[in-house]
Parts: sequence; C-alpha cells; structure tokens
Amino acid sequence: MATLNVDYMLGLVPVLLKYLPLTLEMAAAGMALALILACMFAVIRVLKIPVLNQFTIIFISFFRGTPLLVQLFLFYYGLPQLFSALTAINGITATIMGLTLHFSAYMAESIRAAIVGVDRSQTEAALSIGMTNSQLMRRIVLPQATRVALPTLMNYFIDMIKATSLAFTLGVTELMGATQKEAAGSFLYFEAFVVAAVMYWIVVELLSWLQRHLESRLNRAYNR
Amino acid sequence: MKSLLSYLFLAFALVVSAPLMAKDGPLKVGMSGQYFPFTFVEQDVLKGFEVDIMDAITQEMGVDVDYVTANFSGLFGLLGSGRIDTVANQITITDERKAVYVFSEPYVYDGAQVVVKKDNDTIKGVEDLKGKTVAVNLGSNFETLLRELPYADQINIKTYESNIERDTALGRVDAFVMDRVSASQIIKDKPLPLKLAGPIFSTLTNAYPFKDTEEGRALRDRVNKALASLRDKGTLKSISEKWFGIDITTP
Repeated sequence: MATLNVDYMLGLVPVLLKYLPLTLEMAAAGMALALILACMFAVIRVLKIPVLNQFTIIFISFFRGTPLLVQLFLFYYGLPQLFSALTAINGITATIMGLTLHFSAYMAESIRAAIVGVDRSQTEAALSIGMTNSQLMRRIVLPQATRVALPTLMNYFIDMIKATSLAFTLGVTELMGATQKEAAGSFLYFEAFVVAAVMYWIVVELLSWLQRHLESRLNRAYNR
Repeated sequence: MKSLLSYLFLAFALVVSAPLMAKDGPLKVGMSGQYFPFTFVEQDVLKGFEVDIMDAITQEMGVDVDYVTANFSGLFGLLGSGRIDTVANQITITDERKAVYVFSEPYVYDGAQVVVKKDNDTIKGVEDLKGKTVAVNLGSNFETLLRELPYADQINIKTYESNIERDTALGRVDAFVMDRVSASQIIKDKPLPLKLAGPIFSTLTNAYPFKDTEEGRALRDRVNKALASLRDKGTLKSISEKWFGIDITTP
C-alpha cells in the first residue's frame, strides 16, 4: 500500500481554505433567498390563493422533478441561446439562483407541512378573537410551524452547502473545483479529496451544533 | 439620496455595458485545469502546456488573457453562451464540432506512435512492423488501428492490461503503439531505454474552437496570425519540448 502524503495534505489546507468562503457565501445567499420564496409558496399553498396556487404547484413540480445540475445547465448555458442578454449573469449569481429555485421547491413543501401541522384549534381560537388571515399567520401559525420545520430546513441548508460543489461546471472555482484542479496537478487524489471532505464535514458539524442550540431555544416554551 | 441613486445607476450601467466593451479587453480562455500536463494547478497556480502556449499567443496579439476554469462538461457551454472566447484544452477537430464552431490552425498533432527499445534501428515507422511482435493496451483504439493496416496479418499483436512499455524495454516485444503525447511523457518520466520510431500515423489535430460568428472568425484570424509567428520563432517548439521532451506542435 502506498503511504499517505501528509505533508501535501497539510500544505493543501491553506490553499483550499481560501475557497471555503465562496462555498459558504453561495450556500448562505441561496438559503436566505430560498427561505423567503419557500415561505411565500407555502402560505400560497395553504391559503389556496387562486392563480398563484396553480403557479406554485407547477413551479414546485418542475424544480423538484428535475436534477439541480440539469437546471443549472438549462439556465446558465441554455437560456442565453434564446436571450443573449442573459450572458451578463455570472457563474456565482447563476449558482445562487439555481440553488434558490431548486431548494425553495423542497422547502416550500416542508414549511407547508409544518403549517398544516399546527393544531386546527389554534386557528379557530385566533379567528374567534377577530384576527385577520395575515395576523393569524404571523402571530400564531408561523411561530409554531418554525419550530417544527427547523430540523428539515437545516437538512436542506446542509444539502445546499454540498450542492455548491456543482458550481465548478459553471466555471466557478469553489472548494470542490479548487480541489479537483490541485488533485490533477499532483495526482494525489486521495489526499486532496480527504482534505476537502474533512472541510465540508467540519462546516456541517458546526451547523449541526447551531441547530441543536436553536432547537433547544425554540423548545423552551414546551419544557416545563 | 440623489447621489446614491446616481451611483447605483452608474454601477448598473457599467455592469450592463461591460460585455459590450469587452472586445480588445482580455481574451477569455476556458480550460478544465484537470488535464496534466496540459492544464493543472499547483498550490493555487494554474500551469501547463496550454497555459504557456496561450500566454505566448496573447502576448503576441498584445492582449491580456483571462483564464476561466470549469469542469470539462461545462466548457463548450461557456463557449456557446459567449462567456469565453475559446477553449484551450486539447480540443480535437472533429466533423461534429466543425459543424458548430470554427477552428484555429492546429497547434498540437497527436496520433498513433510506434515506440521501440533505444538500440532498435530496424523499426523506423509503422511500415516496418511487418513480421514483428507489437504490444498495445487492451481495448485501446490502437489495436483497431493496427488491425486496419493492409499488412495486419503479418503483425503479431499482443494485447496487454498494463506495462507495455516495460516489456518493450525488456525486449519481450519489438515495439508498442500508443498516442504520441502519452508515449513521449512515459519516455520523459520513466527511466526506460525507449525511443519514438518514425512519425505518427492516423493523425489527430487539436486546435482552438471559436464561435461561428463574425466576431469569432475575426478572433480566430488574429490567433492564427499569432500562432504562425510563434511557430516561425520556434516558441511553440520550445514550449512543447519543455513539457514533453519532443515537439508535438508539428505533424
């Protein structure tokens, strides 16, 4: 068995660390935008707002029904063929948009499930004291649904961080792209990808820790 | 507030007009960064034969160069959507590609290459393989190429899983056939007494693809001019010898 080139791995850490911020920035921007979109979609679906509801159903069906890589290729390479002005969108923006649209479709469904999961009596109680639909959502339903949706939303965020590794196909050198290129120069594939894997893993572990912290905060009202 | 708005407008105008003013800005060149020794990265620095050649071309043209690295699967998408001007990644000229893109003059000639032991002076090319034992890698295209030769029945073709270069160096077979670029790399990197025998046969040519537009064709013409002058000066040859030990930029 060949020996592991530890010196090479240690030397690679600072090089690859330079690309970690871009990975995280794309995931964070994608997550923030996807959350906004997903909440809107979920509310539309729950309240069955005409026209918008049908649009949302088709949107979710498409973005859940096709692979993220296909969507990225379609929007980044396909659409500019029809509308040349779209070439002005760079790879980073396109990746964020792709992540947003793709993951908002999944997240909309898990948020909708969390909203529907809030006990019906809560809604009835709020309406009986004269709250409007929007007050009902903001003050009663969404706060309770957040607690239920948090673990699955965190799942999607973790998934999104790892999905940024597709950005190199759009010419964006993020953590994975940088690793692939370094490995091609050294032929030390195992060493290079171990370093990248550990970096992703550490980031996700930190997020899991954050999730546990958030969950215990949101559960405070239920712990007696 | 008014000044903020005007700044925003200015920024917007710059972003929108940037692609329009891009010509005679840097030449945007796509490559995978994952094809040693053509394009690869060491400690965050992009290097390789492709980088050296393109640096020389753009210097000759008097423009800057902007390298865009992307997975190979994305390179033609980047070219097709106009985000890069050309691809420098050993793109072989094929009829399918020629239907969509215009190509520069070839700058790499690859093909099947006969390799023999250093002291072998009887085999000087593919036509001398009659009556000889020749090694090829199992399943490679080179086995088919040999079998298509008119005197194929006089060649004893041995297929190997690996180590064809070692058995040739040991004299167990008279020669092996492989693509010239890989063969010259083996000769350069491995301490085996081997040499190339004669010119390549069934040649593949690699060149730069451009979009088949007026702009793309104009750019191709400028690149061709630079290539021709670098060829005259011997720059192509010396870059090739630096990476491969031989000149792969001529047939």
